[in-house]
Amino acid sequence: MLLRAWILLLVGGMSIFLLAETAKKDFTPMQKKWWAFQPLQRSGTPTSIDALVQGKLKDKGIVANGSADRVTLLRRASLVLTGLPPTPEETQAFLTDGSANAFEKQVDRLLASPHYGERWARHWLDLARYADSEGFKSDETRPNVWRYRDYVIRSFNSDKPYDRFVKEQIAGDELYPGNADALVATGFNRHFPDESNAANIMQRRQELLNDVTDTTGSVFLGMTYGCARCHDHKFDPILHKDYYRLQSFFANTRIEDHAVLQSSAERQGWQAAYDAWDAKTSGIRGEMAALTEAPAKKILADKLQKFPEEIQEVVAMAPEKRNAFQWQMYMKVKPQVTVNEKDAAAKLKSAEAKRYAELAASLKEFEGMKPAEQPVAQAMVDHGAEAPKTFLLKGGNHDNPQEEIAPGFLSILDPTEAKIPTVAGAATTGRRSVLANWLADAKNPLSTRVIVNRVWHYHFGTGIAGTPSDLGLMGERPTNLPLLDHLTAQFVDGGWSLKKLHKTIMMSAVWQQSSEFSESAAKVDPENKYLWRFPRRRLEGEVIRDSMLATSGRLNAALYGPSVFPPLPAGVETRGGWKKNESRENADRRSIYVFVRRNTRYPMFEAFDMPDTHESCARRNNTVSPAQSLELMNSAMVNDWSRSFAERLQNDQGVSRDGLFDKAWKLAYNRTPRADERTAAADFLAAQTKITGDEKTAFVDLCHMLLSSNEFLYLN
Amino acid sequence: MHRKLAHNWSVQSRRDFFSKAGSGLAGMALSAMVAEGAKPNSDPLAPKKGHMVPKAKNVIWLFMEGGPSHIDLFDPKPKLNELDGQKMPASFGKIITAMGTGSNTLMASPRKWKQHGQAGTWVSDWYPEIAKHVDDMAVVRSCWANGLNHVGSVCQMNTGDILAGRPSLGAWVTYGLGSANKNLPTFVVLLDDREVVGGPKNWSSGFLAATYQGTQFRQGETPILNLGRPKDVTTERQLNQLSFLKKLNEGFGADKAEDTDLEARIRSFELAYEMQSAGAEAVDLRQETAATKALYGMDEESTRQFGQNCLQARRLVERGVRFVELYCGSGSGWDAHSNIEGNHGKWCRVSDKPIAGLLTDLKQRGLLEDTLVVWGGEFGRTPFNEKGNGRDHNPWGFTMWFAGGGVKGGQTVGTTDELGFRAVEDPFHVHDIHAAILQGLGLDHLQLTYQHNGRAERPTIVGGSDALAKKLFG
Repeated sequence: MLLRAWILLLVGGMSIFLLAETAKKDFTPMQKKWWAFQPLQRSGTPTSIDALVQGKLKDKGIVANGSADRVTLLRRASLVLTGLPPTPEETQAFLTDGSANAFEKQVDRLLASPHYGERWARHWLDLARYADSEGFKSDETRPNVWRYRDYVIRSFNSDKPYDRFVKEQIAGDELYPGNADALVATGFNRHFPDESNAANIMQRRQELLNDVTDTTGSVFLGMTYGCARCHDHKFDPILHKDYYRLQSFFANTRIEDHAVLQSSAERQGWQAAYDAWDAKTSGIRGEMAALTEAPAKKILADKLQKFPEEIQEVVAMAPEKRNAFQWQMYMKVKPQVTVNEKDAAAKLKSAEAKRYAELAASLKEFEGMKPAEQPVAQAMVDHGAEAPKTFLLKGGNHDNPQEEIAPGFLSILDPTEAKIPTVAGAATTGRRSVLANWLADAKNPLSTRVIVNRVWHYHFGTGIAGTPSDLGLMGERPTNLPLLDHLTAQFVDGGWSLKKLHKTIMMSAVWQQSSEFSESAAKVDPENKYLWRFPRRRLEGEVIRDSMLATSGRLNAALYGPSVFPPLPAGVETRGGWKKNESRENADRRSIYVFVRRNTRYPMFEAFDMPDTHESCARRNNTVSPAQSLELMNSAMVNDWSRSFAERLQNDQGVSRDGLFDKAWKLAYNRTPRADERTAAADFLAAQTKITGDEKTAFVDLCHMLLSSNEFLYLN
Repeated sequence: MHRKLAHNWSVQSRRDFFSKAGSGLAGMALSAMVAEGAKPNSDPLAPKKGHMVPKAKNVIWLFMEGGPSHIDLFDPKPKLNELDGQKMPASFGKIITAMGTGSNTLMASPRKWKQHGQAGTWVSDWYPEIAKHVDDMAVVRSCWANGLNHVGSVCQMNTGDILAGRPSLGAWVTYGLGSANKNLPTFVVLLDDREVVGGPKNWSSGFLAATYQGTQFRQGETPILNLGRPKDVTTERQLNQLSFLKKLNEGFGADKAEDTDLEARIRSFELAYEMQSAGAEAVDLRQETAATKALYGMDEESTRQFGQNCLQARRLVERGVRFVELYCGSGSGWDAHSNIEGNHGKWCRVSDKPIAGLLTDLKQRGLLEDTLVVWGGEFGRTPFNEKGNGRDHNPWGFTMWFAGGGVKGGQTVGTTDELGFRAVEDPFHVHDIHAAILQGLGLDHLQLTYQHNGRAERPTIVGGSDALAKKLFG
């Protein structure tokens, strides 16, 4: 390579985040000067969100809105932080709190709510392309990935420092051995869609590595690495080889779907129980295995037949003979060439079949001795300490390798090879630890800005830089870079606390301003780029569902655990299955716990733009469609929740009709109805009672429309 | 009973909206916003002009899922029969197939072949009815794709990529041209058997907005999810509900006139209401005569289901649905790894008469000239045997045909090698096929772009040319 680098600063053990001087042909001046690669600009004097936003607005001659009213403010805070509307009681408490820090108290209360983690975990799951199933043709269930979802919720609830959160997900197994949470966290890079019966194992491995590379690049670095898979990035300073430098950190990774989550004491106890069972049953099981050996061999031969010779050889060879690449092939093909003893037993002839059945029956007598299955995570680990070689792939094709590539970061930031410490007797390559530390380094100009910009995006609907996973030349430039840098500096200096960042943002006048339209401001800034008002937007499908459940009194607020299966509308089929007859308690749990079947998203969420789980999503679409309206008008669930909402109101005896309206409006909108709304509601009830012949039904219809209305569906 | 909305509420025109929003500066700012698409939600389905003069307005894609055998249907290979029982010649090199059959022996085609029509197009005895339409068809024998297995190949035939996540071609068309009937979806998918492999990913809008995705029409009177009102809800009851909803929304929106999103949502309830009757009407085959139904084979058990879907496809394009994709053998029906005789015998019978009926019916109603009909699977099948009497997947060379919508009929385009294994002369990749279909609809595959993750994405990713379009449309 012609690349010549001059490192200007060398401090023992410190990472270097200075723009590397490289040969001119590698990078253009524009790339080198690009804002996202420059160190954070720390303001010399104390400043704030408001000062920085006001400064920008003043430059443009725009007057910002004043504060929103208290009801709007509380509703906004509650929906943004927890994804649930405030209760009438919470609203009342806030409205009657005359103290100067009344709103701050509300922000603190909401940040302390366990529902905060549920709300913000959903954002992270979008980025992590999380799903409970494999995808591709069969879309099999991944029975234990929900532990990753719970890990994210817990991490947000405990305000785990973001740098630690990053490290755990990239290299939790290496950096924190024995830590169950950190092991679950590595599931982040295991969320790729996968094909259980892939015939071309080499190509499949490459596709998975590509997925991991693209996702890591976009989620943590805000860089569209994917564009450099076949050639140098056309716009950004991401070289073709940089793609494989990043990929190389993951070269020795493999799925570990049986990552045991027990302390060593628990594990010992489990093992002792298992050994006892094993000792009692080894004779029986040995005979069963011997009986099925011949048919098992035949089944294996059939299964192997579809693979090319080199893969068949890898399966046949002695384990100690396999090199690192062959291990990769073997671990990938293993599930497809594992013979289930039951399948082999089904092939047995009469006498043998009879003997096998007898043995199986006597084995069953020992079932009570067998310890329960261990809790396991679906994780991502290294397969040993030696990694297979990574090559630059011409055109991105796995069968067109060029020169060998060592792990490394973006060349524009650091053109040298990453220094991977070799540890004698290590169980892993140690590569991902090095990457994790780089990604979680306070001086990394990309990863630090990326997360702060994302948080801003989820608060305001648009990031300071409008494309949260693309801070490159094709992305949208930050509307206020000093603001992004100020917040980022404060974030990393203050211990990477997301909760602190939320509070800083929410205590600003910018966040608290009303969403009202202003002719004069819109004339200068029609897109509200500079934030002269709070941007109104439709809530996500999950928040709409949760809000409906809460408003109708149906919400089961239980936290954590395996995914749940609320009923599917008639006519929706899912390959891979959907549990029938889910209990109502489970069906009424929050949306984050609803099973995510990759090929068939839950229909209500899909209609409201839940992202495709096949790749990371940084910015959801926000559409308006008749399918959404049909869902709101006709779906069995929304109609059911409307009935519950009406029942909840009518449970109180002796309340006047106006009193009922008050209660309905408070539950749905956190306010009492205006006079014109009272009239409209009374007129509607009268007409609807005539049509349905029944005031109770008419009231259900009224509740149904409150739940379907814009005031309910929008964050204001 | 369906009542019109008109006298219950007035659907506001854009002009009303702007007059409500006020003239003067705000109004000007608003017009600018709408014009520049600052609020892309305002009406993503408004009809749009393409990049060139279209040959066709609609597409009906007959997707033979599982992979029909081109060498037993449209691409006769005498050499294959000659070499029956021998291995593939070494000159073909190393072959990796889905089931590892590359070193199996060649298997002759037992079909009887005849030339048909004025053009003398070859069709086997498996498709006697379709053979009568060859003079309207361009048979393309030199298609190729990248995937070895079904899920990747079906996905590529729909989205251009073997990995799921990109928009389907129908979604790109909807994005590019908008809707021609607001009360029906623009892109409709019909299945005849099981779920398509990969499921709804195949008609997904990918990174485009969900508005552009395909809608799977279900069997029965309510083809769209939630299209049917709950049993106890009458039209009158629902209309009164919706007019109350409109009051609530207008109250909320009174001081938010600039928010086109809120306005669009009010309209979307009106559209949804209209869709309830329009959708049901579109699939109501009671309006069709017995003679029409018989034309599609609906009077026979074996052809009833697919015939019904073909007839529905005609009704949908008549009503302005632009892109109808109907699967024959959904769930890998045509996947004849063994017993191709039984498998293809069945699926050819299932599809022959309904497809011929569709072509006849479209033609007699003057719809064929506006409707591009596409026939094909996700790949073809191998010349060598699998399990003695079946054939493995073959993405390297296979046949598709095109009719109507400006296609020059009576042609046979491209060739495969003498065994029908690889496309050799005028090979057309899936991206070329997509480019040609788009061009038929007046869309240039290079200009139809969407900015996503730092790239101007297009339907043909980094490939595609107008070579096939030139052959098809002249």
